[in-house]
Amino acid sequence: MQIEQLQIFEIDNPHQVSSVEVHAQVLITSWVVIALLIALPVVATRNLQTIPTGLQNFIEYVLEFIRDLTRTQMGEEEYRPWVPFIGTMFLSIFVSNWSGALLPWRVIQLPHGELAAPTNDINTTVALALLTSIAYFYAGLHKRGFSYFGKYIHPTPVLLPINILEDFTKPLSLSFRLFGNILADELVVAVFVSLVPLIVPVPMMLLGLFTSAIQALISATLAAAYIGESMEGHH
Amino acid sequence: MNTLWAIPAIAEEAEEKGKIFDFNLTLPIIVAEFLLLMLALDNLWFKPVAKVMDERDEAIRQKLMGVRDNSDEIKKLQEQAEAILKAARAETTAELNKMRRETAASLDAKLQESRQRVEKELAEALANLESQKEETLRSLDKQVQELSDQIVAKVIPF
Repeated sequence: MQIEQLQIFEIDNPHQVSSVEVHAQVLITSWVVIALLIALPVVATRNLQTIPTGLQNFIEYVLEFIRDLTRTQMGEEEYRPWVPFIGTMFLSIFVSNWSGALLPWRVIQLPHGELAAPTNDINTTVALALLTSIAYFYAGLHKRGFSYFGKYIHPTPVLLPINILEDFTKPLSLSFRLFGNILADELVVAVFVSLVPLIVPVPMMLLGLFTSAIQALISATLAAAYIGESMEGHH
Repeated sequence: MNTLWAIPAIAEEAEEKGKIFDFNLTLPIIVAEFLLLMLALDNLWFKPVAKVMDERDEAIRQKLMGVRDNSDEIKKLQEQAEAILKAARAETTAELNKMRRETAASLDAKLQESRQRVEKELAEALANLESQKEETLRSLDKQVQELSDQIVAKVIPF
């Protein structure tokens, strides 16, 4: 009896420890992504000139692209405050995906697990999707107050359950789309590399670069679209 | 026997979590990281670059407005220049015509003069010829007279 109790006590401890578990490899790669994303504007805005050259040209182009994306989805009057959110969404996903595909993470060996794109972890993608959900809820409530909840019965009250369901499927689809694309691409490339490490994986890697860029664009566009949709009033 | 109960529990402790949907503290940490990144990017990238781009747009718009005003001035200046040109052209044509008339007149005068000279000389030459003709006629007459006298003398010597 005594021995059993001791052992149960000892077995309990790992469960307590594991409730504060963390995927350290995701955090490490996300810090690298953040470092890249902060280093770029710090270097490029050193010497801002009216006639841009080189790096300043590039960051202006990126900002113009993000502004255009946000403006297309949300309309001319209301898009300005949301540019940072959509911009960070797009840039973080884009740089995460491409860092996973381009940087030689395998050089660094970890005792458990391995380094890869931070978006191949369900925690990251669900975190981004939840942020998008919170953002569009906040946008709707901020703009329209409690009449925002009128949108649930907007076309007809028959659609109420579907509209409520939409609030769950939106973040679900956002997170799974990104997670599935990135993880699947990494797994396929890993399988190809383990089979034929020379030339064969390269087309798959290029396809992975392309699709991961598209996924970043889609995530940002959909986030902007949901926010825009929840801000527009009854016509 | 009691330790047998412990074995599966120990085995569970030793296995590593391989679940694919493994939600843990990483999720809120990523949320916090995203929000901090958003603040950082907004202050480091979006705000300064937006400022430069908007200032540039303003400057271009100002310059375009300025250029539009300048074009009116340019039109006025153009009209003035054309007026001056027209006046100058009229002046030069008038002067040209005057010059032309003057030279024509002087040419005419010279022509007249030389014609008169020629006519005079012609008349002189004609008069000369006339007088020479009369002279030769007279001398011929004389010679004819002499010849006829000689013939008569020869024919009527007896």
